[in-house]
Amino acid sequence: MSPEHRRLGLAALLALGAATLPFWAADQYQLHLATLIAAYWVLIGGLNLVVGYAGQLSIGHVGLLSIGAYGFAILAGKAGLHPALAVAASGALCGIAGLLLGLPSLRLPGFYFAMATMAVALIVGEVVLAQGELTGGGVGLPVPGFPAPFDSPAGFYWLTAAAAAAVTWLTWNVARRMQGRGLIAIRDSVVTAQAVGVPVLGAKLRAFVFSGVCAGVGGSLFAALQSYITPDTFHFELSLFFFVCIIIGGRGGILGPFLGVVVLTALPELVSPLAKLGNFFYGLLLLAVVLVVPEGIGRVFELVAARLKPRPVESVPVQPDLPRLARALRSNR
Amino acid sequence: MLSALVAGLATGAVFAATALAYNVMFSTSKVLSVTTGHLPMLGGVAGAYVIAGLGLPWWLGLLAAMGTGALFGLLTELVAIRRVLARSDEHLWLLSTLALATMVQQAVGLWWGTEPRPFPRLIPQDFSAGLADQKFWLPIALAVAMAVGLELFYSRTMAGKLFVAMSEDAFAARARGIPTDRIRVASYALAGALGGLAGFAAGQLTFAYFALGLTLTLNGFIALAVGGLGSNVGALIGGFALGLLNALASYWFGGEYQQTIAVGLLMVVLLVKPEGLLGSKQVRPV
Repeated sequence: MSPEHRRLGLAALLALGAATLPFWAADQYQLHLATLIAAYWVLIGGLNLVVGYAGQLSIGHVGLLSIGAYGFAILAGKAGLHPALAVAASGALCGIAGLLLGLPSLRLPGFYFAMATMAVALIVGEVVLAQGELTGGGVGLPVPGFPAPFDSPAGFYWLTAAAAAAVTWLTWNVARRMQGRGLIAIRDSVVTAQAVGVPVLGAKLRAFVFSGVCAGVGGSLFAALQSYITPDTFHFELSLFFFVCIIIGGRGGILGPFLGVVVLTALPELVSPLAKLGNFFYGLLLLAVVLVVPEGIGRVFELVAARLKPRPVESVPVQPDLPRLARALRSNR
Repeated sequence: MLSALVAGLATGAVFAATALAYNVMFSTSKVLSVTTGHLPMLGGVAGAYVIAGLGLPWWLGLLAAMGTGALFGLLTELVAIRRVLARSDEHLWLLSTLALATMVQQAVGLWWGTEPRPFPRLIPQDFSAGLADQKFWLPIALAVAMAVGLELFYSRTMAGKLFVAMSEDAFAARARGIPTDRIRVASYALAGALGGLAGFAAGQLTFAYFALGLTLTLNGFIALAVGGLGSNVGALIGGFALGLLNALASYWFGGEYQQTIAVGLLMVVLLVKPEGLLGSKQVRPV
């Protein structure tokens, strides 16, 4: 079996397991957790192109998530739009927000960009609190669910998982083609990328707007799952969580960040002392990964696999031309 | 109106002091540490704990604030900077300092509680003093004194000249026999002590609050970027300008949009003069 086939088989197995999850999940809570992971992944899958591939450290994506969530809650709840339309609209809204944010800030060097995105996360929180009559202020806003086939927990899970799968497929298509190569080139060296003709700002902006749309859709699903949102739902540490998932999983891959989301969402729920430590634990994990394996946990698996796999021994038989050597030695004397 | 201006100047002084701490660390390592805003936070919390919690005199609280800040500065250098600078990856320090900042903020939140707690009075003074209240003039005086002190330190003392040499060219400084690693450690400890001092002096204005760090990291950075990276006078001007702008904005429009206006200022300055008011032009490395 070639590695390509094995990878496809693994992906198919994962997809099958994810699709049948409502049938073998032990209780409703596990299903809720799985839906939450899928909704997070819709955002993180898009963010992965920005952070993992293009190397732009956007630490304020929770701002876009909260725009998407509030957009969905207001459009589907107060304006009475059909939820599907509301998802599309808030995706578009977040895409525009991403464009407006990215256009000035993606020109800035790394730390400036990170600070600009962090500021946006704080600004969105301020605006949500200030625009009380639209967003409910500090009290919050109820969010309507989805209509008929998706109103049960299992149905909503399938909807969210389908969105997550779509995002995965889209990012995978981007990542392995020219766009993704360009983004990796930008991450590794901007000057080199420019020299070989990668449109640096354009490529970064496209990835960022795409991540904005993902954040809008993910935010809508997240809000519908939570069924009630307040400004406290979108605290800055949530942003850090998205970011840590990608860094821990490894930059420049899709499977690594996905495993990162699954593990980091499920772990504090299963191990209760970790839940108490909460964000301290994420900080510790981020520090450990940055110091020990900056390439991400995925890299550790690769190294271990390379160590375990027996190295193929190449045998190159040497057949010296002895008579000729003897002649050469003799003639030189 | 006048009270809004004075309060704005005092808030600006805290931003300016944070920006100065950024500058001290940036000069020797070319790193903008996310932990910078947490230094005043630690100073405020340590001071409040020692004075109000343990009931010790104010000068012990001052020592504790500066000591905690300096220790955390040392820790930042040892844990988050030293190993990361040795690698070639450009922005790894952003991740490591962000991780450390999160950890210290959460640790303080778990230990100290998540509610802002009042900071004790340092000098016996009536609460009816109004504009002459110590919570306004202490941070302002301190920020100015810090900037003047740093300028004197850089220009008059040998150690300060080593800092300047390292900020201009670390490799050349190393080649001249300057122990660059030790200087960097010293600069982080110095920045930590100054940050802790700023948090101690501004404690009555900001309260001892665990989530103060991120706000100060952002606003101090905006002050620094507006004033010009690496310039102490610029940091002072940027900080006061930002504080005044915030105060006037909340005087005229209400207090909801402070952060929005601060970032607006940053964007305008970066568009018009990307290197800041007093910064030196960055040469693009190829």
